Amino acid sequence: MNFYSPAAHILPAVEAQPARLELRDLRKKLGDTAAVNGIDLKVAPGESVVLLGPSGCGKTTTLRMVAGFLQPEGGEIHLDGKLASSASFALPPEKRHLGMVFQTYAVWPHKTVADNVGYGLVVAGKKRAEIDREVAAVLELVQLGDLAKRYPSELSGGQQQRVALARALATKPTLLLLDEPLSNLDASLRQEMRFELRALQKRIGITTLYVTHDQDEALVLADRVVVMNKGRIEQVGTPEQVYRTPASRFVGNFVGTANLLEGTIVTVDRAAGRVSVALDAGDITTARASAGWLATAAPGKRATLLLRPEDIRFDRPEKPDQQTGLDVRFVSAAFLGSRYELQLTAKDTPLRMQSRTPGSFTDGRVRLWFRPDSAWVVA
Amino acid sequence: MGGGMSSATLFTEDPRNVSDSPALLQRLSGIQPVKLLVIGFAIVVLLALIAYPLALLIGYSLIDAQGNLAFDTFEKAFNRRGMWAATVNSTVLVGLVTAGACALGIPLAWIVARTDAPGKILVTLAAGISFVIPSFISVVSWIFLAAPNSGYLNKLAVEYLGFTQAPFNIMSFGGLVFIEIIGVYPLVFFAVSAALHNVDASNEQAARVLGAGRLRTTLTITLPLVRPAILSAIILVMLDALSSFGAPAAIGTMANFSVITTKIYDLLKFPPQFNYAAAVAMPIMVVTAVSLLIQKYAVRAENFRTLTGKASSEQITTLGRWRWLAAGFCIVVVFATAVLPVGALLLLSVLSSFGADITLSNLVTKHYALIFDADFVARGSIINSLLLALATATVCAGLGLVLGWVVERVKFIGREAITFLVMIAYGFPSIAYAVGILMGYVNLFYGTLTLILIAYAGKLLPIAFVLVRNGIQQLSTDLEEAARISGAGWLRSVRDVTFPLVRGAVGVAWVLVFSLSLRELSMSAILSQADTQVMPTVVIQFIEDGAIELAAALSVVIVTVSLSILGLIRFFSRKKTAVVS
Repeated sequence: MNFYSPAAHILPAVEAQPARLELRDLRKKLGDTAAVNGIDLKVAPGESVVLLGPSGCGKTTTLRMVAGFLQPEGGEIHLDGKLASSASFALPPEKRHLGMVFQTYAVWPHKTVADNVGYGLVVAGKKRAEIDREVAAVLELVQLGDLAKRYPSELSGGQQQRVALARALATKPTLLLLDEPLSNLDASLRQEMRFELRALQKRIGITTLYVTHDQDEALVLADRVVVMNKGRIEQVGTPEQVYRTPASRFVGNFVGTANLLEGTIVTVDRAAGRVSVALDAGDITTARASAGWLATAAPGKRATLLLRPEDIRFDRPEKPDQQTGLDVRFVSAAFLGSRYELQLTAKDTPLRMQSRTPGSFTDGRVRLWFRPDSAWVVA
Repeated sequence: MGGGMSSATLFTEDPRNVSDSPALLQRLSGIQPVKLLVIGFAIVVLLALIAYPLALLIGYSLIDAQGNLAFDTFEKAFNRRGMWAATVNSTVLVGLVTAGACALGIPLAWIVARTDAPGKILVTLAAGISFVIPSFISVVSWIFLAAPNSGYLNKLAVEYLGFTQAPFNIMSFGGLVFIEIIGVYPLVFFAVSAALHNVDASNEQAARVLGAGRLRTTLTITLPLVRPAILSAIILVMLDALSSFGAPAAIGTMANFSVITTKIYDLLKFPPQFNYAAAVAMPIMVVTAVSLLIQKYAVRAENFRTLTGKASSEQITTLGRWRWLAAGFCIVVVFATAVLPVGALLLLSVLSSFGADITLSNLVTKHYALIFDADFVARGSIINSLLLALATATVCAGLGLVLGWVVERVKFIGREAITFLVMIAYGFPSIAYAVGILMGYVNLFYGTLTLILIAYAGKLLPIAFVLVRNGIQQLSTDLEEAARISGAGWLRSVRDVTFPLVRGAVGVAWVLVFSLSLRELSMSAILSQADTQVMPTVVIQFIEDGAIELAAALSVVIVTVSLSILGLIRFFSRKKTAVVS
């Protein structure tokens, strides 16, 4: 059964399909601080976009403006090419035809699972038989078919989560909003739900805007990740892009664990998109860099390199990017089952490393090698 | 736009798909007329109920009889005969009642919450009963028990205990103090025992571990933790005693003394002198306002320690041989505040006449027969009271729901003002408020139940507001937002989600307001006319006419209806579906 034939047929089949959601220079103050400070974003039909950032970065404020619960003070929100919010106009939430899953689930405790899920259809004035059919179909989709008559208090947290999701999907919205939907689940269930949500999103092809502060969640769920900080967008890119080629130190640090090594540029090779850098911690290495940064790069200027813990090794590769290997001192090590997590220092720079082996140190020292092509200039 | 056309016909209910809709039409779709209308109406009613009468009251206190601005109204009003004596009486009454209520309430709370004294449950029950019975009904009971000569306790003392003269005299200032104390001590008792219950045992255990003894722990840890509760209760007791009217009116008439509230009542008798009444009410208003400010800033500032624990058996003090002394104290209180008054009331209501011997042959039902007689004033007052209680409870619950929602959910400047206005009405002395209502609405609604309804609704709205607002506060905003996202408009989201989930709180508010309306005397005394008598005013009239048996019978009706309607709370507080997360 194909429950969800996304509302593709309601979109004009013209060449220039409008973005399902478009934010233009969106601004909002909460109190004295600019919670959202000029955001531009387009979400294409069928795309899954995740807003990722620390608490207070403006991601939830942005989502609530899209939902229509907050009105922007500047900029515009367009849904399917039509104005939904601006400083002077706000379409009420109920007229936006959205689905939303709340952090607290917000499953109504006085209604059964079926009544929760069918509510949007009742409000839309659908016939009873049709509502029953659609509710059954969407409950099947989230694997809750046999719990339709239960009350929320009789369900586990994970099941309530599914009810909230089913309710959001039942009206076949053109855009699904999710506000940290997994943050109240325990760790193992959270991991399981991530993959399930992603599979569901792909299967029904619904356009999704997802808010989270959990980088792993973002990487699993996103077609594109929008990394936010202090009300602004730091970077928009695929999970691979934001992890491997972060646009700033902030992104590098927030998405995954980052080792940041400072140094001075020795040579610049714009054609290859690389520089070689003399690290303050010793050794000279080549690193990839963005074209924009390379445009102004010159020998003698400073650079910051990012290296992921898993890209640092004890063994010298066949064609190393480095001259001598990085001389480091042992600080501490922890065994985490699948790997060792080592804390090291190179001169005064702390370094974290993940390794299958604990390594063999001589007088507490060892030389480290970077996986070829893994060093990246963040600034 | 070929594709666009077909989509528009398919999904016409979706405004975004109506292609090229003009900007104006689109703007209009952002307005929510029903929401604005309902909220606007509720605020207008609030202003009419509370702000307008209070403004009039303050205004009238500043003008003379001819309507000219005058600042000597206070001077003239207080130079009237007996006014200073009444002021002194009020002050002494407040002081003695507050001290008495604390002396009774705090030790009782400690005994009940923290000791192993037997009979603790009886004390809670007695305090509940004492709290439900209004003071003008206590007067009826205590006249039966302790009237100077004919009171049955006095007779007992003289005939069997060898007293040469009657030891009790309820018809005195001391008698009034006694009746007020047993009426308000439950406020102190309930507040302090709740606070003691909520002091987490670990607070005290931490002190014990550090070497403090039991007494030292009580004095340095437990008492400071419950101090905010004690202070709040003291302020409530003071305001209650200051604005009390029923018992002072009943006893004052017989014992020939006045307090401020009874003086205000006298000033409104024909010919009414509104400006003097308003001026005399001013001191009560000022004291009330100052007390509420103290409560808000001093007490709440101290109340940062949220007490959330549960009393555990480790906190129970073993009294040993003191146990029986504590039990004795409890039994005396239970008898004096509940058993004797209630028994007296029931007995008096079926006794052939006050003063007759208590024998089976003297027990009759004629007083009840008269109460329900169609040609007698009491029956009309019962109907009036019930109608008023029904209307007041419904108006207050409805207004409380809308205003509570506005204050909790809408961000705008006026919401603090709404809370402030409602709480002013709460602390405001009934008698002064009734004067304001009289001045504001007497021309429109003279001699009608509507006039009394306005007064009841304004005065009791705070109770409904606080209860319903707390209910809404506990509801996650997400629950309503989920309904909006599902396509429900504002009114529908309130109807389908908010209301069902706060129905319990609204129901409790309705019941409480109903019950309080039934026993309201001070405002009714000022506002009711011959055709609009209510049960409490008729009780007072019976007392003044000396028909004390009829007063007792009607009082039994009031207490019975109040208690049975309060029983409905159990029904409303029963959890139906689920705990709200």
